[in-house]
Order: sequence, then C-alpha cells, then structure tokens
Amino acid sequence: MLMNEQEFIRILRNRLEGTLARDELDDIVSDYAEHFRAGKESGRSDEELWRALGSPDDIAREIRAMHLVKKAESVKSCGNIFHAVLATLGLGLFNLVFVLVPFILLVVMLLVIFMLGVAFAVIGPAAFVFSVLQLAGSPAFAIWLNPVAGLFISIGITTLGLLIIIGDYYLARFFYRAGIRYLKWNIGVITGTEEAE
Amino acid sequence: MKENKPCDDRFACFVQKLNFSGLTGTKIIFWLAAIMIASFVIGFGILAVTDGLSGTSPGKSTPFRHGSMLSPNITAIPLDGAAAGRIGITMGAGELSLSEGAPAGTLAEVTVFSRAPEWQPEYSQSLNGTIKALAITDPGHRGKEWFSVDSPNRWDIRVTDQVPVELSVALGAGDSTLDLNGLTLKRLSVSNGAGETTIDLGRYSKSPFTADIHNGIGDLTIRIPRTSSTRISVHQGVGDIDAKGLVQHDEYYSTNSYNPSLPANEILINQGVGDISIETV
Repeated sequence: MLMNEQEFIRILRNRLEGTLARDELDDIVSDYAEHFRAGKESGRSDEELWRALGSPDDIAREIRAMHLVKKAESVKSCGNIFHAVLATLGLGLFNLVFVLVPFILLVVMLLVIFMLGVAFAVIGPAAFVFSVLQLAGSPAFAIWLNPVAGLFISIGITTLGLLIIIGDYYLARFFYRAGIRYLKWNIGVITGTEEAE
Repeated sequence: MKENKPCDDRFACFVQKLNFSGLTGTKIIFWLAAIMIASFVIGFGILAVTDGLSGTSPGKSTPFRHGSMLSPNITAIPLDGAAAGRIGITMGAGELSLSEGAPAGTLAEVTVFSRAPEWQPEYSQSLNGTIKALAITDPGHRGKEWFSVDSPNRWDIRVTDQVPVELSVALGAGDSTLDLNGLTLKRLSVSNGAGETTIDLGRYSKSPFTADIHNGIGDLTIRIPRTSSTRISVHQGVGDIDAKGLVQHDEYYSTNSYNPSLPANEILINQGVGDISIETV
C-alpha cells in the first residue's frame, strides 16, 4: 500500500462518508491535507507524516465515534445513543466490557422499570373495575378483601404506575447525560486526548 | 411572535402542550404522589379498621383475597345412619349451587367460597328417628357488606344420593342452580326472591316427588325427563312461558306419559316477574 497523502486522504474520506455532513467532512480532510502540506514544507516525507498521524482507519473511527457522541448529545434519541455506543465499541475490544455491558444493563433496567410502571398503570384501573363489580356483589370478580379499600388501593396502584413511568423517563434522561459524559471520557482515554471535545 | 425554544424535557413539554390551566410537569408529579399516598393510606386504613389484613392468613398482609377462592371453607354433615334426610337452606344473598355427590356417610357437604367468619352459614342438625334434619342458614350481615371482608357469598352444596331427601331452598336474592338428577327426592321447595333459578331434573329417574317453586323476580328454567310422568301447574304474573314438548290444559303442563291414576311428579310454579322455560330432556 502506498503511504502517501492522497492514499491517506482517500481512506479517511472513504471511511467517514455517510457519517459526516459534506462540509464537515471537507473541513476534516482539509485539516489533514494542511497537516501534510506543513509537514512536507518542513522536509518530512509522506510516509513519516503518515506514521506520525497513525492509521487513517483508526482516525476515522475516532472521528466517527466522537461525531456520533456529539450528535447524541445535541439530539437526544434512542437511535442516536445506540449509534454512539456502537461507534465507541469500534475503538477497542475492551469496550465490549466497559461500554456495551453497562449499556445493556442500563437499557434492561430502564425497560423493566417502564414495564413495571405500565403494568401498574394497567392493573390499577382493572382492579378498580373489579372493586366496583365486587361491590355490586359479583363473586367472580371478588379479588379484594374489602372492595371499598380496593377502590382506593387501585387508585393508588394506578398513580404509582404513572409515577414510575414518569420517574423512569427522568431516570433515562439522567443516565443518557451520564452515558454521554462517560462515552466522551472513554473516547478521550482511548485517543489520548482525555478531554475529548 | 413566540420564540420556538427546543424542548429538552419532553414530559414537561407534553404537559405544557396539554395546557391544563397552569399545571406544570412538576405539579402533576406532586399531585400524583399526593393522590397515591392518600389512596394507599385510606385503602389500607380501611383494611386495618375492618381487620382485613389480620383476618386472613397469618403472616400475610395483602389487600387481596389470597387463596380464599382456591381453598374454600368446607363443612361435611354426617348422615348418622339416618334412612332419610331433610335439608333446609336459607341464604340471604349470593350464589347457590346444589348437586349430588356428598361423600359417603354424609348427608351434605357445604363449600362456602369465603373464609371470613361473618360469611359462614349457621348449621343446625338433629336426628329425629330415622330422619336426619339439617338447616343451613345465612346469619345475615346487617348492611355492612360494603365494609366487610370477603363480602361475596357463594355456596356449593353437595347432597347425598344414598337416602331420600326433602329439600327446601330459600334464597333472598341471587342466582341458584340446582342439579337434582342424582338425588332421591321426596319433596322439593324452592323460593327465590330475585334472581335466576335453574332446576335440572332432566335425568331424574327415582321416586316421584312433589315440588313447590316460588320465584319472585327473575327467570326460571326447569328441566324434566321427557319420558317421566310429570305435571306442572304454573301461576305466572308477568313473563313468557316456553314449554315445548308438553301438553297444556289450562294452567297445567303435562308430559305425554303423565297418568293421573299413577304416582307422578307434581310441580307447582308460582312466578312473579320473569320468563319460565320448561325443557323436556
């Protein structure tokens, strides 16, 4: 493989196309072209500069990961955070443990809490109807020890379900922000910039 | 012109869009929390006051009727060697189911689908010569059903098919299903204030009997064997009569095999409001 500026730029552009917007991609490519130009002016060869910069594949992965994390930070959505996590996984195999496992555990925890909230929010009204039917004297719906108490408790269950759903939303927001910070820190540690911006 | 700010807190923005006269997301959360706490306090408070939590299985404190439908209260009344039985059932309100199938050596087996003491019937039994008498009586609940534990009332009674029985059923309000096919009836009396009554004698083949059925408000269904010698006298207030397969003479409906000179099943029906369906099987 030829280790010259054109090849470096070609690989970098090729890896980042489709992820970055055209103008962003052009900016990044021009930065690296400028780096090569300045290097060559100081008497360094293309190969030296290539080795100094590192693999264009690795650079593209880092840029892509950082771009997707920033995108997830600015536009909060499940899809964006998912893509950011996937991109971060590409930076190193150990991120399977340090990123993917915590991410899956968090998603599962939030889903379980959400399902619990939905279950309460659905069971509550059903239990309320059962209380009314029990008060009307229907033995088939007699699930409550005391149907009047059942009326109040079913209202409590319903509101508890709604609160759990709302709480889960805020919990997801909290972990989303924390996750973004963690991913940025993770990318910073891997790329050696520590404070990745 | 109103500024379009990007909405970060979607729940707060959702509430804002709903435009509930000044309610914000935070206020809604506080209101929900307040309603939840108040509801639980009142609900469990009622249970505590009515002894609902301690009145069930020891060690378990839930507002639900754990296991009461699965492990009902069963009482067996011994036959004590009697040659005949007389059973009187008085139920205020609820659901009554009666059929054959009492265990050997018993006159009746009563299953009450409630373990609450206040919903258990009172049993009175005596042996008079060769007749074992049993009275199963609902003690009544003095209008406290709404705040009572385990308020629904359901009895499932199995009666012996070993000896002839006189059966008297009085139900204030509710549905009753009497499957009497396997019994040996001497006399049957059924009185239901309000509710649906089903009496199944469609496969009855034992000795002839007399029956007196009073139904206040509600539909009555009675099944009799097509080949039996049966005559039914019907007095009805408001409602339709469906008596296919029977021969009608005035208020009397008879099976084709009815012969007044031979012992026959005599059934008297007094119906207030409701349809009567007499089915021949």
